Amino acid sequence: MSNGPLIVQSDKTLLLEVDHPSAQDCRKAIAPFAELERSPEHIHTYRLTNLGLWNARAAGHDAEQVIDALLTYSRYAVPHALLVDVAETMARFGRLRLEKHPTHGLVLVSSDRPVLEEVLRAKKVAGMLGNRIDDDTVVVHGSERGNLKQALLKLGWPAEDLAGYVDGEAHAIGLREEGWALRDYQREAAESFWHGGSGVVVLPCGAGKTIVGAAAMATAQATTLILVTNTVSARQWKDELLRRTDLTEDEIGEYSGAVKEIRPVTIATYQVMTTRRKGAYAHLELFDARDWGLIIYDEVHLLPAPIFRMTADLQARRRLGLTATLVREDGREGDVFSLIGPKRYDAPWKDIEAQGWIAPADCIEVRVTLDEGERIAYATAEPEERYRLASCTPAKTTVAEALVARHRGEPTLVIGQYLDQLDEIGADLDAPVIKGDTTVKERQRLFDAFRAGEISLLVVSKVANFSIDLPEAAVAIQVSGSFGSRQEEAQRLGRLLRPKADGRAARFYAVVARDTVDAEFAQHRQRFLAEQGYAYTITDADELLA
Amino acid sequence: MAAPTPPRTLADQLRRWSDEQVAALLRERPDLVSPTPQDSAQLASRAAVRSSLLRAMDGLTRLELAVLEALVVVGPCSPDELEDVVNAEPAAVRDAVERLTGLALAWSSPEGLRALTGVADGLTGTGAIGRLRPRSPDADAGGVATRLEAASDGARALLDHLDRAGGEGTSAARTPVAPEDATSPVEELLARRLVVAKPGGVVVVPGEVSLALRGGTTTAEPVDAVPALATSRREPSLVARAAAGAAFEAVRRTELLLDHWSTLPPAALRSGGLGVRDLKAAAGLLHVAEGEAALLVEVAAAAGLLATGPDLDGDLAWLPTDAYDTWSARGFAERWVTLAAAWLDTTRLPSLAGSKDRRSGKGLNALAPELSSIYAAETRRMTLEVLAELPEGEVLAAGTGVPSVVDRLAWLRPRRPASRGELVAWSLDESAMLGATGLGAVPAYTRALLAGSDAAAALAPLLPEPVDHVLLQADLTAVAPGPLESSLAARLHAVADVDSRGGATVYRFTDDSVRRALDLGWTAAEVHDFVGSVSRTPVPQPLTYLVDDVARRFGTLRVGAVEAFLRSDDETALTELMHHPKASSLELRRLAPTVLVSTLPVDLLLPRLRDLGAAPVVEGADGSVHIARPDRQRARVPRTRPAGLSAAKAAAHLTAVVTAIRAGDKAAAARPSQAPASSPAEVLATLREAAQARRTVWIGYVDNAGSTVERVIDPVAVEGGQLRAFDHRTDDERVYAVHRITGVRAVQAG
Repeated sequence: MSNGPLIVQSDKTLLLEVDHPSAQDCRKAIAPFAELERSPEHIHTYRLTNLGLWNARAAGHDAEQVIDALLTYSRYAVPHALLVDVAETMARFGRLRLEKHPTHGLVLVSSDRPVLEEVLRAKKVAGMLGNRIDDDTVVVHGSERGNLKQALLKLGWPAEDLAGYVDGEAHAIGLREEGWALRDYQREAAESFWHGGSGVVVLPCGAGKTIVGAAAMATAQATTLILVTNTVSARQWKDELLRRTDLTEDEIGEYSGAVKEIRPVTIATYQVMTTRRKGAYAHLELFDARDWGLIIYDEVHLLPAPIFRMTADLQARRRLGLTATLVREDGREGDVFSLIGPKRYDAPWKDIEAQGWIAPADCIEVRVTLDEGERIAYATAEPEERYRLASCTPAKTTVAEALVARHRGEPTLVIGQYLDQLDEIGADLDAPVIKGDTTVKERQRLFDAFRAGEISLLVVSKVANFSIDLPEAAVAIQVSGSFGSRQEEAQRLGRLLRPKADGRAARFYAVVARDTVDAEFAQHRQRFLAEQGYAYTITDADELLA
Repeated sequence: MAAPTPPRTLADQLRRWSDEQVAALLRERPDLVSPTPQDSAQLASRAAVRSSLLRAMDGLTRLELAVLEALVVVGPCSPDELEDVVNAEPAAVRDAVERLTGLALAWSSPEGLRALTGVADGLTGTGAIGRLRPRSPDADAGGVATRLEAASDGARALLDHLDRAGGEGTSAARTPVAPEDATSPVEELLARRLVVAKPGGVVVVPGEVSLALRGGTTTAEPVDAVPALATSRREPSLVARAAAGAAFEAVRRTELLLDHWSTLPPAALRSGGLGVRDLKAAAGLLHVAEGEAALLVEVAAAAGLLATGPDLDGDLAWLPTDAYDTWSARGFAERWVTLAAAWLDTTRLPSLAGSKDRRSGKGLNALAPELSSIYAAETRRMTLEVLAELPEGEVLAAGTGVPSVVDRLAWLRPRRPASRGELVAWSLDESAMLGATGLGAVPAYTRALLAGSDAAAALAPLLPEPVDHVLLQADLTAVAPGPLESSLAARLHAVADVDSRGGATVYRFTDDSVRRALDLGWTAAEVHDFVGSVSRTPVPQPLTYLVDDVARRFGTLRVGAVEAFLRSDDETALTELMHHPKASSLELRRLAPTVLVSTLPVDLLLPRLRDLGAAPVVEGADGSVHIARPDRQRARVPRTRPAGLSAAKAAAHLTAVVTAIRAGDKAAAARPSQAPASSPAEVLATLREAAQARRTVWIGYVDNAGSTVERVIDPVAVEGGQLRAFDHRTDDERVYAVHRITGVRAVQAG
């Protein structure tokens, strides 16, 4: 009986005991093929999925290695059926390959004729394939490379994409490591991505995903298209690239609602890409405007469906997805996998925190109790109104103000969902409010002032959820959120995680109304962070105010 | 042989045997034991009975069967002669002879070694080896070779064909005197005495010719070549771990399923099986394919842990037995041994469940009585034993392994039916699922199980040790890093839901799970204490809050059953009522200042309230007041049937009864005072006479049930052993078999 750190469950989850002496070795051994699902304080949960196993195959691991890793580190005997399943699943990958043919262009080649026959008869792939050249080779319409991969994945015969990538238009980009250096995990992430060709890098907020993007660009040495969530974020990317690379202002273009520049490195927003005019996407030609060598998708978990469809046509270009959470509230993780690429790098938040690259954070749930009148109002309200009622209770405003007072002087954000609630808090605290209708210029000004320490309190709506770099924010008070969105909670915490100059721990307060749907949603929202090892402390509003 | 004079008969030989030899014989052929034979003579004669012989021969290997066949072909002979005609190593033949003698299938007669008389008949059919005829008494071995040489090509080809096809054919050809006169190959063969004519146009190839055709031996190819197993290499420790993993899962799943069925038992089908839907649900519960679920269910039933019994509604259902409780209290290893031993010995065929019956085309249900085979147990044991012979570190090869085991078993027991191949494949699948094999090899503990020694002791160190603690985490999960002690597991089940099972168990605390514990009578303090005591790690705050939150809400709403309520805006009136001396008869309880409830129904409560001087009105469900006016009651007019129909029916019935009575009277009157005609000739004569004269007769007749009845009939015709006649009793024409008529007598007119 070995005494390994890993317990292999028959439902394909792997439990890793974190405090075990060989836990680190084990993590390295299983990371290539198992997906980290939860990482709370003692036992991390990994899951064996078909995607993960195929991904490992794509990276050159074979079933023997996977089974050996499981058997070596497993504390108990490994279920037989699971081993059989691993071997069978991995054997399915690569029976079909996408290759470049000297005369026919893109072809689908099979090393297993029955599989090819099965696939050719599937309705899903009809129309994507052309003539059959010989028994084992079929022509693939060049435009269907992405769709075909998606369809084959659904059929359970994922194709190995060996057709390669176009180099794109060369453009010299170098990292300027002056006064800073690429961190180990950033380098590893960029290398894993480059080695894999395309894929997604998962890093916590504040861990420097932009720099991973810059490192990838420096490796590609080619023109790059960067897709980001909004204009503020686009400006931040630009600033960061100017600081970290030898690119000059003239080489970086912004393509947004306001400006339409196409330069060797172009930063475009999702919004402008999905703008439709007369039923057609107005800015599709951006993808063909240059011979892009690399496309970077920022916050890939937010990628809108139309961009997925556009991405299906871009399979010949290298694609890098960046995100802090692969959790998509719409459950389209599979599309991210087949169209952007498999997950190439992933590090648990707590690991990066332990290395000191992101600030430690205390998460505190403050529970307020509705007063009698509010409870009656809540109880008799229409179901769709209840969440709003519970979220906007005046008790929350009181608590938020008390918390702001407690942390006076520290850079503080008050984050909320409902605008009148935010306006009220803003008015009470005499703080600027940033919401959807605030102009970009005004936002920029406020954020700059906040960064510079001129103002220490901002009230923000969900426009600030993503990609706003506010390095010094140390306290966040969330008074309401979008229902049960897990990734939103993670993103909001992420605002605080950039390391502080003085090494302070960040504080994240979630103010929640007890015994209402708000509490239920809060629990759901917290789940991702709890699974990432952020334990919430619960306090009562009365204790806090006393 | 040291014996001075050889035994004259088998009985004689048995008499000379040592006690050990006889005991060995009885052990190998247990059917000889009951009833206990009186003496060696009876033992010998019983050993030669066909059914017993066949059973003994079923247990022979290909080599032993070939030797036995050679004995039949050659007739009584010396061991050396025998070694010459069997295509095998002499040592192997000697061993085979020893075993055949030990089994009393052959014995050393004065003329040499001799097979028992009935053996020859048993050698045909499934598993026949060379299919040779016995040698002709006047055979001369040298002559055969010359005659074969001389045969024409056509004749030789026919002979080869005949020999391959079993040595027997039919032909109308007669035996010509000289080969030169032969007009066909058959005739030539007959003339050259290469085939022999038997009565009924059958020609056979005599043994000496077959021997010559096969180069002097009974088979062209060696019979002692044991088919090799296709193997590959695998680390022995991995084999043990893989097998133990499956063993652990099998036990765990069986326990999980039977626990589940303790409260929600599946119905037993009328045909005795388990419904398809129930099996599917079980497979879903266990996270396994239906085949594996069927195996677990079948094994549990075979081990006596699952049986049919009445459920709470009295319907027949599959329920865990009493034995299940003792079983589940034992250690994992012992529990596995119980399951594995039951599987090894059962005649059931779990792998058939879910397939279609070949004949009826109906689906076969798990636990249905049809799923069994007398060969199942033997096949399983032999398959495992064959695997157990592999040296450590060798496992069955992935693709070719199974057919090679089938071949090996076919050599070991050639007389088993061809369906054996399927049984072997199933045995291998089932053993892998149960953990009796791992990665295609037999681990040490299964060897112990096969040998009947302590398998549990060998298995126990490979299984996870039970743990007595869990690790609590802030995401409201608790991980038990191994199988929990069962009492602990039961309590944890009460307060948390299971997220993931396996070697470890992941529990998740939710509102519902904590409320469930409170429903079971736990208090919040007990939950806190329990959680704190089983956790190795500090209890995370969110869990404490969860428990407190649920406890706070628990019971704030109260539900109860009452029959009536009393409400009044006049609080004092209600107080007065509560304190009335006779109020106890009203069974009142005060819920609020203005509301009382009673467990009495309204119709009882109302008069009693009025007796007490109150003036209540009745309120409907919607709050409206009911007027207390008594309803007038009416009955329906009863429906009557028209009289004429039943009168007609009664009359018809009476007529039938009377007819029968009259016929009975006639029969009684005709009951012979003198003996009726009873010899067949007399019976026929009397009947014919009556038919011609159109006279009524009395007959005694043996009916289908075998009892003799009396009839009074008017015969119409007698032909082909049948009598057609008008029966007075049934009032219609019927046919009687003449041979069943016991006697006939004319009935006096009137």
